[in-house]
Amino acid sequence: MQRTRNSMSSFARRPLALAATAVTGSLVLAACGAGGPSSGGGKISDDKVVLGLLNDQSGVYKDLSGPNSKVAIEMAVADYKAKYGDKAVAKNIEIVQADHQNKPDIANTKAQEMYDRQKADIILDVPTSSAALAVATQAKAKKKLFIDIGAGTTALTGKSCNKYTFHWAYDTYMLAQGTGATAVQNGGKNWSIVYPDYAFGQDMTKSFTNAVTKAGGTVQQSIATPFPNDNFSTFITKAESSKPNVIGIMAAGGDLINFVKQFNQAGLQGKTQLAVGLMFITDIHSLGVDQFQGTQFTDAWYWNFDDQNRAWADKFKAKTQTRPSFAHAGNYSAALQYLEAVQRAGTDNSDAVVKELEGKKLNDVFLRNGEVRAADHRVLHDAYLVKVKSKDQVKEEWDYEEVVSTIPAAEAFNPTVSTDCTM
Amino acid sequence: MSSQLVSKVDVDLPDAPSITAQRPYLRWVGMAVGLLVVLALPFFIYPPVAMDIAAWALFAISVDLLLGYTGLLSFGHAAFWGTSAYTTGLIAIHAGLPFPVAVLGGAVCAMILAVPTGYLAVRRTGIYFAMVTLAFAQMVYFIANQWRSVTGGENGLQGVPKNLGPLTDLINQDPFYFYYAALPLILIGVVIAWRTVNSPFGRVLVAIRDNPARARALGYDVERYKIMVFVISAGLAGLAGGVFSASHGFASLQELIWTTSGKVVLITVLGGIGTLWGGPVGAALVVLLEDRLASSGFNGIGIITGAIFVIIVLAFRHGIWGTARNGIGSWLRSRRRAREDA
Repeated sequence: MQRTRNSMSSFARRPLALAATAVTGSLVLAACGAGGPSSGGGKISDDKVVLGLLNDQSGVYKDLSGPNSKVAIEMAVADYKAKYGDKAVAKNIEIVQADHQNKPDIANTKAQEMYDRQKADIILDVPTSSAALAVATQAKAKKKLFIDIGAGTTALTGKSCNKYTFHWAYDTYMLAQGTGATAVQNGGKNWSIVYPDYAFGQDMTKSFTNAVTKAGGTVQQSIATPFPNDNFSTFITKAESSKPNVIGIMAAGGDLINFVKQFNQAGLQGKTQLAVGLMFITDIHSLGVDQFQGTQFTDAWYWNFDDQNRAWADKFKAKTQTRPSFAHAGNYSAALQYLEAVQRAGTDNSDAVVKELEGKKLNDVFLRNGEVRAADHRVLHDAYLVKVKSKDQVKEEWDYEEVVSTIPAAEAFNPTVSTDCTM
Repeated sequence: MSSQLVSKVDVDLPDAPSITAQRPYLRWVGMAVGLLVVLALPFFIYPPVAMDIAAWALFAISVDLLLGYTGLLSFGHAAFWGTSAYTTGLIAIHAGLPFPVAVLGGAVCAMILAVPTGYLAVRRTGIYFAMVTLAFAQMVYFIANQWRSVTGGENGLQGVPKNLGPLTDLINQDPFYFYYAALPLILIGVVIAWRTVNSPFGRVLVAIRDNPARARALGYDVERYKIMVFVISAGLAGLAGGVFSASHGFASLQELIWTTSGKVVLITVLGGIGTLWGGPVGAALVVLLEDRLASSGFNGIGIITGAIFVIIVLAFRHGIWGTARNGIGSWLRSRRRAREDA
């Protein structure tokens, strides 16, 4: 009896053990072919140019850039191929994408993987400033390009600046200059600032405080919130406690939408002026114009500004069923100008491409009067002070913004190069 | 009482003497094969992922030392892993020392933190022990989050350099070489764990796990033994965390958050507790799975690892390694019996 039971149990156990071994074994095999020391390349490394898109594919910044930025980059690739045809230096162009979930540690790992494993020649986008700083560090270590579009921190052209990192679309200085100073001039002297507690929010608060103070206003308090965050009610109460004229909110994307919803629910709309640090058109779309109407903010690009923008936005809409945010246009522009630089250099070698970008004057659908400042790789271009339309002014879907004034490239960005930046 | 609950539910030794006790050469064959696999790993797997597996493996072993061999479920081991990750980063950034020195510094720091934590925690058992360790880990997390000037807060500690004298350029350019530079640190940790378990000290730990009252009656100072193994375990977790942060060049709050403590317990249980080698198997499974799923663009990693966890706990109570070992053991035994009968 004893023996029968024993052999029964061993019979029952063996296949299970085998199954477990098989699972582990097949996983190891599946990962094969990805190891070993890495090797160099020729004129076009690995015979293809790989554009890596690293951004938020699932979280609070998904709408403002996310998967639709891939569409924008595909449009750039198509335009490049159409322009050069057989003469194109980059014959095979591949786009890879990954989700960094707005976390710097994941961005760090993903960037390393993109450069090493997927052989990316350039990484694009990377919203969330802390994540962008991590990618800049990787770009420097791997000597591969990184063009940031989605992040705002000025540290990218300051302390963390390096030869391979470019800052394309906007930064906190630009936003504060446009929005902060204008609000003070219109009578909003006393400010409370609410900001998400990571690189972007900290940097925004610094930039806004500078701009507001310079324009003659005062920042009474600045309140840190977790990031990402859902419930802002305690922070709103605290911000309101000093009876400010203006509450400045430095959150972006999904967090901004939550904040504004709760701000309006608290009955503050119309009572206390709301200044939004960074707004994307996708934010207005998700919450509706009436929640924001009259709000002034600084935009890096607006799809309905002129015919050129509109034509591009129509093509974008045909593919995505939505209108582009400035981040989408920025991704298109960065990918296109990168490919143009590869074309001029005749190679995708990083140093050669950087040389083709530095100091160049560039113009495309996104960059107006654009220039890549060689000293810190800040890309200067025209920005726009805009105002959210009221509901009856909206003529078509996504027609939400009215451009109040164009801020010329020379004034939009900090004219002095940060002393922290050593290439 | 509840410490017995934890140990009784999860740990029971095979009913017959283990196969390696019967055939001592098998142990050495097994170790040689294991070493070979570890050395060959970065040829088959993307080297930074291989390094992650090695680090998580040692981390899981450190948890197994407590959970499997002493019957203590620490739910705050991320505190030691993360403290060391940050300390390693700070030493490497500010002192510019070679990374193995920084990692050892991190491990020592984790051990120092473990002394007060262990001193308070071992007074309680079972779920209360788990809660005390979790509470300490959360405290460390919040300190790291708030002490922005040192830790970088939400931004993390970025740009941790990997220095190693004349080899600095080599290991920085290619993570393949860094793997071999850092592997000795992991192996030292594994050897320490192995020596701890296979020593009179280790036998006492098992006695404490199985019956603390009897161990005390035999004259062993149960609390002191628990504190000692807690500190050793923290040191190993620290060693692993330091290597992890050096490898990534980054220490973030992710290293300290409670889900990291949960993940390492999951890895340990998947691999099989009270086995020591289950940790590496579980680590390989989880890290590779996460890597495959993440690079295939699948977002519900938690669903898959959770499902596997449920299956393992229900069907393979001894974990992957424990089940495999017991399976092979009983197969050998039944074969021998068949021979004897013939």
